[in-house]
Amino acid sequence: MAGEEQEKNDKGFRLPGFVDVQGTPCAREALLHGAAGSLVAGLLHFLATSRVKRSFDVGYAGFFLTTLGSWCYCRMHNAQLRVQQRIIQEGIKNKIIYEGSGLDPNNKPGPS
Amino acid sequence: MAHPTQPGFQDAASPLMEELLHFHDHTLMVILMISTLVLYIMITMAMAKLTDMLVLDSQEIEIIWTILPAIVLTFIALPSLRILYLMDEVSDPHLTIKATGHQWYWSYEYSDYENLEFDSYMIPTQDLTPGQFRLLEADHRMVIPVESPIRALVSAEDVLHSWAVPALGIKVDAIPGRLNQTTFMASHPGVFFGQCSEICGANHSFMPIAIEAVPLPHFENWTSLMIEDA
Repeated sequence: MAGEEQEKNDKGFRLPGFVDVQGTPCAREALLHGAAGSLVAGLLHFLATSRVKRSFDVGYAGFFLTTLGSWCYCRMHNAQLRVQQRIIQEGIKNKIIYEGSGLDPNNKPGPS
Repeated sequence: MAHPTQPGFQDAASPLMEELLHFHDHTLMVILMISTLVLYIMITMAMAKLTDMLVLDSQEIEIIWTILPAIVLTFIALPSLRILYLMDEVSDPHLTIKATGHQWYWSYEYSDYENLEFDSYMIPTQDLTPGQFRLLEADHRMVIPVESPIRALVSAEDVLHSWAVPALGIKVDAIPGRLNQTTFMASHPGVFFGQCSEICGANHSFMPIAIEAVPLPHFENWTSLMIEDA
């Protein structure tokens, strides 16, 4: 069991001392989006202005904003899914507990 | 559980630890971005032509580098405070267990049951059976029902100890003459290990905590057996 975990970690890409890109949800997507955003922003600025140094600055700003934006959006979406998952699990558990009893919402009262 | 050269947290086994993991990932990403920004600025300044050597101040940049860190800190502080207050909630525990630190073992009392208390010593390395974990296994595990809120009251008999189980997000100081309280819930069955986290003498490293979360029927069987054996 411990060996499998180590294998998984050896295969994962980890920014030195920082984020475990493979193991952290949304990290890989955020960094890929950031890299793409950086390329697009820097390239577009250079094509428009032909200023190399400023284009690098714009490219970095694109990386920063795209990575953070993608990260925050993905994490918020995941958090919402987790909340929905918990509600569904509670609902399933309650359905099993209350099935057939007076608290079962599917129980229709018989004719009196 | 932990494995050799593990750099990160163990997988979460309680809702609180899940929240802590998510917050940690979020903060780490913010730190990564700030670090790349600093690195970029350093490289840019090292390659600069030094044409603005006599510029003494700039209102715009001073405003930016005051407001931006404040915004970043807000993004870190708000989830942090949320989790902080979440940790203090006591949500109608189903069971109360008292964990007492001694030199050098833990004792557990299940006060909700009569005569259910036992000591938990580390299994020495030479007595381990194949598959058991060195320095983590205990002769009597603290057994709890899964998916039930548990209140743990932690104290100590002699010197300071600390009752810590990383997978459940628990670390509570055991202080002689004081009763500290924490509540937790194991989300899934399993065995979760921890180690004493406050220096307490020669065998401080050899008084582990082993918690076994089992389904409720198994827990009831276990309590019956333990009470009979007592």
